[in-house]
Amino acid sequence: MAAHTEHHLPHPTPKQYVQIALFLAVLTAIEVLLYYVEQGVDAIGTSVTAPMLILLALIKFFIVVAWYMHLRFEKAIMTKFFVAGAILALVLYAATLIALGAIAIGA
Amino acid sequence: MADIAHVDGPTDEDGPVDDNHDNGHGDEHGGHGDHESTGTDNRKLGMWVFLSSEFMFFGALISNYLLFKGRDFTGFDRITLIYPIELYDIPFTSISSFVLLMSSLTMVLAHDALASGDQNRTRVWLAATGMLGMVFVGGQFFEFSEFIHEGMTISSNPAASAFYMLTGFHGAHVFIGILMLLSLWGISRRQGGLTEDQGLNLELVGLYWHFVDIIWIVIFTIVYLIP
Repeated sequence: MAAHTEHHLPHPTPKQYVQIALFLAVLTAIEVLLYYVEQGVDAIGTSVTAPMLILLALIKFFIVVAWYMHLRFEKAIMTKFFVAGAILALVLYAATLIALGAIAIGA
Repeated sequence: MADIAHVDGPTDEDGPVDDNHDNGHGDEHGGHGDHESTGTDNRKLGMWVFLSSEFMFFGALISNYLLFKGRDFTGFDRITLIYPIELYDIPFTSISSFVLLMSSLTMVLAHDALASGDQNRTRVWLAATGMLGMVFVGGQFFEFSEFIHEGMTISSNPAASAFYMLTGFHGAHVFIGILMLLSLWGISRRQGGLTEDQGLNLELVGLYWHFVDIIWIVIFTIVYLIP
């Protein structure tokens, strides 16, 4: 039922697509700024910037998927397939990297 | 993406017109009966499943890079101790990332133009997307040649190898996307517009293109920005 009602959401207008692109560009600029802040200020380490960079990348990721790929307007089955693949890959490779010592837990 | 529905085929003017632009479920009424056993076009569902599987593919390559990027290969035979992280040109890669991000905008505008029945505008945005893709691939080619000039080849060490494999495969995906975009542009130009079926092809190519963009969003952050 939810999937059915989602189906009737109006798609963005060209103007809204441009606004989304500008927002994505601003997020990218913030990412690059964070990189230079981390490089230039000794007191700020990657433990501060890395989570922020990952968060910004995730926001960009979800905006593109939801609005440009129109997943939020699609049937639930599309979302299920796509999200299942993403989660499966994330869990599998995170477990692998932890097992191989590339990601430290609680370090 | 929005379905291109009720398109009657190319015309000499602006071509097919979509009268079902805003509701996003045109394929339910658009005559795709043979392709709708799940209630949606099977080709579109297939593309989403394919893109989902691509997470595994790129996940393996990203993991491979993360596994080797911080390793010290001192003392190993036939190893050149030059690492990708020493050579990154962040301003240059940032511009490349911006270009690819903007190509997603032009792609969605091409799709929107076709949904509005404006075939000329569709071709303009398709060409713009292809050109932005070419700029991105050209930038990657330049980056690779600079790195090789600095002495880091694919066989220098496992970290370099993982870097070239990851970014190279992504570049190959972009290149394939460019070929598909140019094909659609050429078909549209020859026929005077895209038919309903070709409109769906544009939608599928658009999904592929945006996916390539989101993978780059991840690569740019994990590989380039996080030391």
